[in-house]
Amino acid sequence: MGTTLDQEWKKGSAELLILALLEDQPRHGYDIGKLIERLSGGMLRFHIASLYPLLYRLENRGLIHGRWVEKPNQRRRRYYRLTTQGQITLARQRQSWREFVSAVGRITGEEHA
Amino acid sequence: MREWNDEIRKQLTGLNLPPAREEEIIEELLNHLENLYEELLAGGAAPEKAHREVLASLSQSDLLVELRATERTAGPDPIPEGIANSGHLLADLWQDLRYAARMLRKTPGFTAVAALTLALGIGANTAVFTIINTLLFSPLPVEKISELAAINATQAKMTPQSGELQLMSFLNFKDLRERTHSFTSLAAHSNPMAITMTDTAEPRRIFAEGVTANYFDTLGIHPSMGRFFLPAEDTTPGAAPVAVLGYAAWQGRFGGAPDILGRTIKLNSTPFTIIGIGPKGFKGVYAVFGPDVWVPSTMAEQIFPAQQRNALSDRAITLFTGIGRLREGLTLAQARAELSIVAASLEKEFPDTNQGQAVVLRLLTEAAYGPERQPLMFGSTLLMAIVGLVLLIACSNVANLLLSRATVRRQEVAVRIALGAGRSRLIRQLLTESVLLGLLGGVLGLLLGYGGCQFLWSFRPAEFAQNLADLRINASVFGFAFAVSAVTGLLFGIVPALRTSRTSVSEVLKEETRAMGRSRNRISLANTLLTGQVAISLVLLVVAALVLRSIQSEYTIDPGFETNHLALFMLYPGQAGYDQTRTEQFYKQSRDRIGGIPGISSLSWASNLPLWGRKETGVVIEGQEQRKKSEAISAVVNTIDLNYFSTLGIPFVEGRDFTQDDRDLSTPIAIINDTMAAKYWPNHDELGKRLQLPRRKDFLQIVGVVKTANYQTLGEAPQSSVYIPLRQNYSDAMILYVRTERDPSATLAAVQSEIRTLDPVLPVDDIRTGTKVIDQALWGAKIGVGLLGVFGLLALSLAAVGLYGIMAYSVNQRRREIGVRMALGASEGSVSLLVLRQGMTVVLSGVALGEGLAVLAGRALSRFLYGVAGSDFLSLGAASLLLLVVAFLACYLPARSASRVDPLVALHES
Repeated sequence: MGTTLDQEWKKGSAELLILALLEDQPRHGYDIGKLIERLSGGMLRFHIASLYPLLYRLENRGLIHGRWVEKPNQRRRRYYRLTTQGQITLARQRQSWREFVSAVGRITGEEHA
Repeated sequence: MREWNDEIRKQLTGLNLPPAREEEIIEELLNHLENLYEELLAGGAAPEKAHREVLASLSQSDLLVELRATERTAGPDPIPEGIANSGHLLADLWQDLRYAARMLRKTPGFTAVAALTLALGIGANTAVFTIINTLLFSPLPVEKISELAAINATQAKMTPQSGELQLMSFLNFKDLRERTHSFTSLAAHSNPMAITMTDTAEPRRIFAEGVTANYFDTLGIHPSMGRFFLPAEDTTPGAAPVAVLGYAAWQGRFGGAPDILGRTIKLNSTPFTIIGIGPKGFKGVYAVFGPDVWVPSTMAEQIFPAQQRNALSDRAITLFTGIGRLREGLTLAQARAELSIVAASLEKEFPDTNQGQAVVLRLLTEAAYGPERQPLMFGSTLLMAIVGLVLLIACSNVANLLLSRATVRRQEVAVRIALGAGRSRLIRQLLTESVLLGLLGGVLGLLLGYGGCQFLWSFRPAEFAQNLADLRINASVFGFAFAVSAVTGLLFGIVPALRTSRTSVSEVLKEETRAMGRSRNRISLANTLLTGQVAISLVLLVVAALVLRSIQSEYTIDPGFETNHLALFMLYPGQAGYDQTRTEQFYKQSRDRIGGIPGISSLSWASNLPLWGRKETGVVIEGQEQRKKSEAISAVVNTIDLNYFSTLGIPFVEGRDFTQDDRDLSTPIAIINDTMAAKYWPNHDELGKRLQLPRRKDFLQIVGVVKTANYQTLGEAPQSSVYIPLRQNYSDAMILYVRTERDPSATLAAVQSEIRTLDPVLPVDDIRTGTKVIDQALWGAKIGVGLLGVFGLLALSLAAVGLYGIMAYSVNQRRREIGVRMALGASEGSVSLLVLRQGMTVVLSGVALGEGLAVLAGRALSRFLYGVAGSDFLSLGAASLLLLVVAFLACYLPARSASRVDPLVALHES
């Protein structure tokens, strides 16, 4: 069940989650992957092969913007931040997600049960 | 560490990324792996184990595939989402187009049907547009056509719109040219005249125009070979027997011979030297019909018929139209003002010939169609409207197809919306798809249209094919087809796109649990479209039927002469170089010899072809001369030989026919028709009264009155006509009329060989029977009804296909319901009836709407119809019946398949 949910979820809403995580502050790729794993209690996990291509895709589409940042005594890292377009898309995807969840809820009877 | 680097580099090699980008990706991924490694160590893992785990995470991934997918979709995502624009319109468009092409490729059946349907509609439009473009929009390959104007004469008080434009005499033209300053250059040309050309053995009929030397310069065109006329070649009458051959004539009649320049051809038995070839595509300024050859106007005497030989010195002989290039900055009105002053002074100086004559100046673009402009414009507009309607039906069919596909695609759309696709972006994507489909249909349509045009054009009468305008497939045809395709794509795409984009995620999910309840809505929209289609098809069918009936009744028009058992032969003895004595002898001999052929009951000569009579204005009636200028009397004048009326079957009302004794020296006489008699001699005292024909000195005594016939067009309003005897009015261009006892085609060959025996050089290639004359008079109308019929049937079949498609779809959607009905005991018949009723309700409402519209259309058309009312019951009934039968079939097939639904299977399926 875990893996199926994982796959389904990724296909549908991986973007939504990445955008959401970048809403507050810029983050680098490893950080994003870790956060998703941690916040989902280990239910959701990204391979390196799906996380970075997804980030590049979002960047290509102008939803996020990556920049190399050097800090003393650290390797330089690429930090991603949300663009204005990304913020609008996030708002929209959130809304759709809510509708989707509530629709599923109505059908399965979870919402009012 | 090292191995990670190598592994990543190895995985990235297939991508062909720019080196800088590749380094960035590698650095970022290395960072990630480094972090992972450090974390594993921090978690207490042994370095070897951590190292192995990091490597494993890399090797089990399909990094290359994922990255490749990412890099391939530089720019927005393949599934376009709301505001996820790349910000670059062109990049977005390119993306949309590629996506659209992919979607169309995925459903080849749908794409093929939709593109073909559109191709039929667009093809019909392209074909009609190509013909209109040829005839109306790009008539002449001359320089700056907007500066060119045509000059004609007309009777004063008549407006140019009245169509009574007349030719000018050469002397009047010369005076105009000398006295006006409005033009940088002013030239003149005659109408195309049928002449006989003898280059090798076989004499042939071709068309020649006499033009002034500056004609080609005025138009601003250049010879494709050789040269045009020099000023010196247009000064002394008869001195310069040189000719310019048209490009098409050179290709068609001389096989494009490269050594054509300098060759001698005989035109009406005078040898002319060919000095030049006209530019390709130029066939004179008259857009519809052009000459094969041009000769200097000073050669008029050599090529014009006997009555017009003095055209260069006689102000009364009118043969020319002026063509002028307006001086820069001068308006048409200013030029008109100057011309009318000159015309008025000419009227004072030459009252005999110029009384009441004014000058008309029109832009060449307007003048280039002559009297055909009105019917051409009307026919073009009607055809354009009709093919527009056909295209509308095609659009609505494709819209219906898209709507049914939309149901299938709701899932896809719902997912996109769930992922945040915005409505406008979605609509844009869907419209891109439909426009692409439209363009696909457009390309096919262009091919179909071009083929259709060629096919249609192949019906040109072969003997004139080279003289008629050539079809032009040029940039404007391509532009038109492109614009129509794009607009079509938007038109049929917009409603489905709007509907599809309104899909909401929750509804799609609900729908799945409720077995497509919402598609009812879709069906009702489809039904609305279908009702419209049925209505439009019916209107087109009714219009086609009305025009067909109109032509049918035109065939029953009595032209005033007997068309059966009549044959005519056009012979121009003058063109074979005969003088008057020899010509008269030829008339007599052929009368005797042909009259002796068995099966021929009578024959005669006349100057006019049936339905091609020329009206002459300025007839003077003795005792009634003091009429106002504006009331100049006009009549169709025909020079005839003995027995003309009995040969044509025109009955006498009173008086007598011409006889052997009416000769040159006896009293000049004439016969008039009863229309003229009633108009000018209301007291029936016309016999013995006298009249004078325009530009002639003698008064003619009226000796007889005959019934009025049709002289210019079939079913025309009665016109005055004057007949004069050949024996008192010599002509060397006459038509032989032969009345036969049986079918005339059997005797044609015998007559021809008799004429050959009399003179082997005389061309007798233009032979027609009386019924063919009528056929030819209705040629244009028949082409019209053919086109209307084809387009009407096209509309009908498109509507039938649409109807069938939607019925089949709806039966498929209702399988479960039908299954339940049948499980509950409904019979096959009642199920069929249910489906039929659903379909025929749509059809009947469409027919009702269509009949209403057809009555309106018929009313609008009624003034162009002959002998049939715009609301003709038979046309309406027949068209409705045809439509109902076809529509019934289109509904019956799905209904039958509905009755064969197996309840068990249907219920199980759902």
